[in-house]
Amino acid sequence: MHTPDVQPHEPEARYTDPIRKYIVIYLCILALATFQFVIAYSRIDGTAMFARMLFVALAEAGLALMFFMHLWAEKRGFLLFVVVFTGFVLLAMQYGWTDSYRMEVGAPYSQPKAGVVQQ
Amino acid sequence: MHDMSAHAHVAHHAPPTSFIRKHIFSLDHKVIGKQYYGLALLAVFVGMFLSWLMRLHLGWTNLTIPGLHLLSSNGAPGNVMTPEYYLQLMTMHATIMVFFVLTTAPFAAFGNYFLPIQVGAEDMPFPRFNMMSFWITFAGFVVLVSSFFVGDGPTLGGWTQYAPLSAVGSVAGPGEGSGVVLWAISIALFCVGQLLGSLNFITTTLDMRTKGMSLWRLPLSTWAWFITSVMGLTAFAVLMPACILLILDHVAGTSFFVPSNLVISDQVQPHSGGSTLLWQHLFWFFGHPEVYIAIVPGMGIISHVLIANMRRPMLSHRTLIYSFGALAVLSYMVYGHHMFVSGMNPVSSIAFSFPTLIITIPSTILVLIWLGSLYGARLRINTASLFALGFISMFISGGVSGFFLAQPSIDIMLHATYFVVGHFHMVMGVAAMFGIFAGTYFWFPKMFGRMMNETLGKVHFWLTFVGTYCIFMPFHYLGLAGNVRRYQAFVVDYMQPLVPVHRFITVAALITGAAQLIFLYNLIHSRFWGEPAPENPWQATSLEWSTPSSPPPFDNFGGKLPVVYHDPYQYGVEGSTGDYVMQDSPEQIETVRDEG
Amino acid sequence: MSQADLTMEGHPAGLTTGIPPFSIPAKKMAIWLFIIADAATFAACLVVYGFLRNGAPNWPRPFHSITNVALMTFILLTSSLTMLLGVRAAKTSDKAGAFRWTIITAIGGILFALLHVREWLALIAEGMTLFHNPWGTGLFGASFFCITGLHLLHVTGGVVALLAVGIRYRGGRYNADDLEVTGLYWHFVDLVWMFVVPFVYLLNLAH
Repeated sequence: MHTPDVQPHEPEARYTDPIRKYIVIYLCILALATFQFVIAYSRIDGTAMFARMLFVALAEAGLALMFFMHLWAEKRGFLLFVVVFTGFVLLAMQYGWTDSYRMEVGAPYSQPKAGVVQQ
Repeated sequence: MHDMSAHAHVAHHAPPTSFIRKHIFSLDHKVIGKQYYGLALLAVFVGMFLSWLMRLHLGWTNLTIPGLHLLSSNGAPGNVMTPEYYLQLMTMHATIMVFFVLTTAPFAAFGNYFLPIQVGAEDMPFPRFNMMSFWITFAGFVVLVSSFFVGDGPTLGGWTQYAPLSAVGSVAGPGEGSGVVLWAISIALFCVGQLLGSLNFITTTLDMRTKGMSLWRLPLSTWAWFITSVMGLTAFAVLMPACILLILDHVAGTSFFVPSNLVISDQVQPHSGGSTLLWQHLFWFFGHPEVYIAIVPGMGIISHVLIANMRRPMLSHRTLIYSFGALAVLSYMVYGHHMFVSGMNPVSSIAFSFPTLIITIPSTILVLIWLGSLYGARLRINTASLFALGFISMFISGGVSGFFLAQPSIDIMLHATYFVVGHFHMVMGVAAMFGIFAGTYFWFPKMFGRMMNETLGKVHFWLTFVGTYCIFMPFHYLGLAGNVRRYQAFVVDYMQPLVPVHRFITVAALITGAAQLIFLYNLIHSRFWGEPAPENPWQATSLEWSTPSSPPPFDNFGGKLPVVYHDPYQYGVEGSTGDYVMQDSPEQIETVRDEG
Repeated sequence: MSQADLTMEGHPAGLTTGIPPFSIPAKKMAIWLFIIADAATFAACLVVYGFLRNGAPNWPRPFHSITNVALMTFILLTSSLTMLLGVRAAKTSDKAGAFRWTIITAIGGILFALLHVREWLALIAEGMTLFHNPWGTGLFGASFFCITGLHLLHVTGGVVALLAVGIRYRGGRYNADDLEVTGLYWHFVDLVWMFVVPFVYLLNLAH
């Protein structure tokens, strides 16, 4: 357990990481970004493509969050706070999706009808 | 001893000397807190006035109210209210009350004033953001009120501003034109203001606590403000883009919230492809946390007030805090219970109903702790503690109907009736107001150095308490009898017998409203001519009563930050000061602490 | 007074004393909180976009070339790396290096913004507006311009912040911590772009 007498602000080792480490992470993110373009040109259906892209984007964002933004080097409590809190709020926002599917099923209201005269 | 000083990075600003810097564009959290309080006071009287007009009209439908036309260019021919005018009043009443009173007063006003003092800080870490927060909020209020005098008057869409009528412009009728745009601008501004406030509140609580002030040693009011600001951080961040999209639908021809082939006023609207439910999802994702943003600070305040007057801590400090936290978490998972009748996916109704029933558990725990702590306590009866008791009473009376409304099958029948109006007015409207009153009577001596008049205060309490029940209990009856809300007249036969009930409510509302003038008089009179307040009139323990003077000096503690030795509520112990020990008193005592 | 007076045994440090529980100074905490709020804002916009796209039967897929967006992505990701180097230099007291890398980062941001504006102008020239486009439902233009516009606003704000903080850092008014805070914001702008590219561009690629 962390004792109160320890300097809460450790010497900032994380900023003196070897540049090589940064470059490796940068290249990883770049590779993942490229991979997304590859997915975009692969012949798979929309849902599968979306799922894969989301997965790769989350991996990219995770790398950026942990190492570019140094979240990995912060206290675990803070890491958990940011990830759990943000993740919870963003997940809670997804409730509405079912209604978007119903909008599609709910045609003809979702598409312009040919017979309707625009005034 | 650790040397890392959390205060090192804070800009120590010197006390200002010019009038403008001291009273208008002040960086001092105490002045900003008072400014927020003043704004809320102004707003609450505007909002109450609007409700009077509505009530008068509901009681006597053809009543001529002189000067009615002044508030809307075309809404009141012959000074008799039109349906549109009634809805405009309703919308403005709700918007002003929810945003500019129930959010600003208990959260922004008292939070600004007392959160930094209760954690033992000189100021917030970002005084400039704090100042901007107030002035942006103020600008939002000005924009909102200006809609009375612009174009076809203020919006009539309700505080929820449901699309599509709010999104298509004035073709949807008077009050759907510029009023909606001004409303959306005002609310977007409000969101920015509260976002800045939340940043300050959270960083103050986490980083500005003085030596010895652990998180568990924070008073309950501070915990409530802290949890509220965490909620506000993400809730307002979602409402803001929603408002901007609404403005775009309105002025730029986009169709986010307008479906295809919509016919309004016999015209097919040029929009296509949008979804009205999308607006509701975005709005209520903010809207439900907002309800807790309004009520949780009140819960914190009344707990704080009750403890000082019971002379002993709550049964469980921690459980109260955990319950606040549980409310905050659950508030993000229940918003769909506002949409049971919206035509959303029926599966979602069940998904939202379940957490809605769950959220009654932390609410019930809170009530049980309050009642259990009060049981057998020798409560000092003063205006502040009376209002705190009133809060609990309102919260229970209004909350019980929540159990019914949480179930979609019952809600579908009651949703569009006065039952819901009665429910939310009691549980989050008036209850939060009682929290504000309790806070005002309790903290006024610290804020202004003078006592408020207790006799007037008690008169104010009893009139308000009885009056509120007279107004809002019959609402439940009206709702069960099938009285539809948002109607400005009762043209249907079965509603005719309900008119006397409405008249009774109107009379009660006028009297209760007039009782607030007693409060206003008490406030102004005591501010200038009240009895000078002693340092610690309530013999309370938390840090706001340790400041060297009332009101506290510019840097709160007179150049020296306090050191905290005790839990916040050390009452009922033998101390050199009596039956209590201040948080910053270095005497050794056996800590009064609950087991939880 | 002894330390024991100030602590309650059995709790993590932040809960027992006045030190920040996350050991994060106020400015950095504030920018993280802002990032969380901003993430909610962007997420709301993306949810709106996905919601509408899902329900639209005639959603267009107008993008033919990935060159521009690939180049923009490359520039933004690289600017994140240069920002990192700038903060690293500042933290190791290499003032000149920190200033140089910050300016390079800002230039990256400006390049990104210019490319973005060029792309916007090209789309507008093809007849795309907020409410209409030649390929399908008008919602495409609305959501495209809103999401990328919000992001562009963040990039512009970031460039201004980088220049202002960079210059004041060299002048001595701001320190390495301030640069770090600006850096956090800049990385976040980059992070958002990682979601905008696949969902707004790549899913709308014409095959």
